[in-house]
Amino acid sequence: MWQKLQNVDRRVIYVLMMIVCVYALLNPMGLPISINETTRMAYDKIQALQPGDIVWLGYEFSAGGVPELVPAIKATAKMAFEKGARIVSGTMWLEGQNLGGAALREMADLQGKVYGVDYVQIGYKPGGQVFLERAVDDLWDAAVGIDENGADLATLPLMEEVKSMAAFDLIFIYCTGNPGDKEYVKIVGDRLNVPICSSVVSVSVPESMPFVRSGQLAGLLMGMRGAAEFEILAKIPGNAVSGMDAQSLSHVLIIVFIIVGNLAFLLGGKKGGRV
Amino acid sequence: MDTATLGIWSAAIMTLFLYSYIFVDNPFFKFAEHAYIGVAAAYGMVLQIDNMIRPTIKTKLLVQGQWILIIPIILGLMIYTRYFKSINYIARYTVAFMVGVGAGVVLARDFRASFMLQVADTMRSVTGPGGVENLIVMVGVVTTLTYFFFTLEQKGFVGVTAKIGRWTMMIALGAAFGNTVMARVSLFLGRVQFLLGDWLGIL
Repeated sequence: MWQKLQNVDRRVIYVLMMIVCVYALLNPMGLPISINETTRMAYDKIQALQPGDIVWLGYEFSAGGVPELVPAIKATAKMAFEKGARIVSGTMWLEGQNLGGAALREMADLQGKVYGVDYVQIGYKPGGQVFLERAVDDLWDAAVGIDENGADLATLPLMEEVKSMAAFDLIFIYCTGNPGDKEYVKIVGDRLNVPICSSVVSVSVPESMPFVRSGQLAGLLMGMRGAAEFEILAKIPGNAVSGMDAQSLSHVLIIVFIIVGNLAFLLGGKKGGRV
Repeated sequence: MDTATLGIWSAAIMTLFLYSYIFVDNPFFKFAEHAYIGVAAAYGMVLQIDNMIRPTIKTKLLVQGQWILIIPIILGLMIYTRYFKSINYIARYTVAFMVGVGAGVVLARDFRASFMLQVADTMRSVTGPGGVENLIVMVGVVTTLTYFFFTLEQKGFVGVTAKIGRWTMMIALGAAFGNTVMARVSLFLGRVQFLLGDWLGIL
């Protein structure tokens, strides 16, 4: 039996994983979700916003980051708008413009916010670190003077107050890789005294944690778990919260796989299995 | 069928095509893969033109008269000389310029933010609040660095320290793997939520 387990078809594992995820999504158990300290730090930064403050949202992610990051964008936007803050967004990632932009528009529409007055989306701007370097001094120039729809920034009243990244009271980044929060820490955080919070996909958490410890990041949402915590704090439980039961059950299944796999390896003659 | 419904059906079918690969490589997977690459390339090109190239030439160059921009435009065009064998060396000047600027920007910022401040952060007090955590970080950094210190033979005190460093790295890799698993499961959950909710409407 142990020998057989060493050579179990990987498709069996995939099917089991699918069954567990679908079952958990269709039958929510409501497992408790506690609030992590780094999530609380980010939440406190949003709660400290005053009416009229301006927040920058950076959608530095591709389609793969949607399940973990879009819920965080919605929660951030909702809380920031409720505090009376205004939002300017942009992205150095091609897909970020549509994926992140749609989430902000949804929250803005729900709260009756007016484009150009309460929020502006400058959209995708290429250049990566070079874009950020320029934006710190002159955001208009870095954005080539237009928003995501090609409208002149001079026609948008909110942008009169936003000439550079120094105009922001809080920066919130949603990222799946580089350029991402590390570039903001290095370029914006190093030059300006603006708190930077980040929401990252789970795989990036070990890379971002040292920046929280050193104080270079003022808060961190860790993957879908962090997004779920933010949804709870923002009182808009959505996809991240509903996904946490499935996430937890799938982790239990993977732990079982690892234990069984190791037992099979140890008890099955240590011949190793097919990779 | 409106465009939103068409979009949801297209995305759902493409998702199923792509996931079919985990059972066996098949033409449906190939179709979805190639379609994605084509669409992504076209989408990227349109955004680059709309958001940067056109406004740069139209507004900055022709309206505002920032003629200095002709230099980067020429540098950019020089890249295309790589398609002509006799003058393809010209593209290297652009690459050299980009490497130089890139290295300058990265090094100037990296050294302080990613190196100096992180090094300083490992030198915290090991007594008082967070002392144990600070001690673990300090021991982890020193022992891991020792593992990569090849001037001395790794035996005796250096060997034990290096061994602790190796274990530290293994624990870090385990944590990284755990996060990777979580990220991949989240990706899958996102698609399942889309299929069950947006497409089938049973969520």
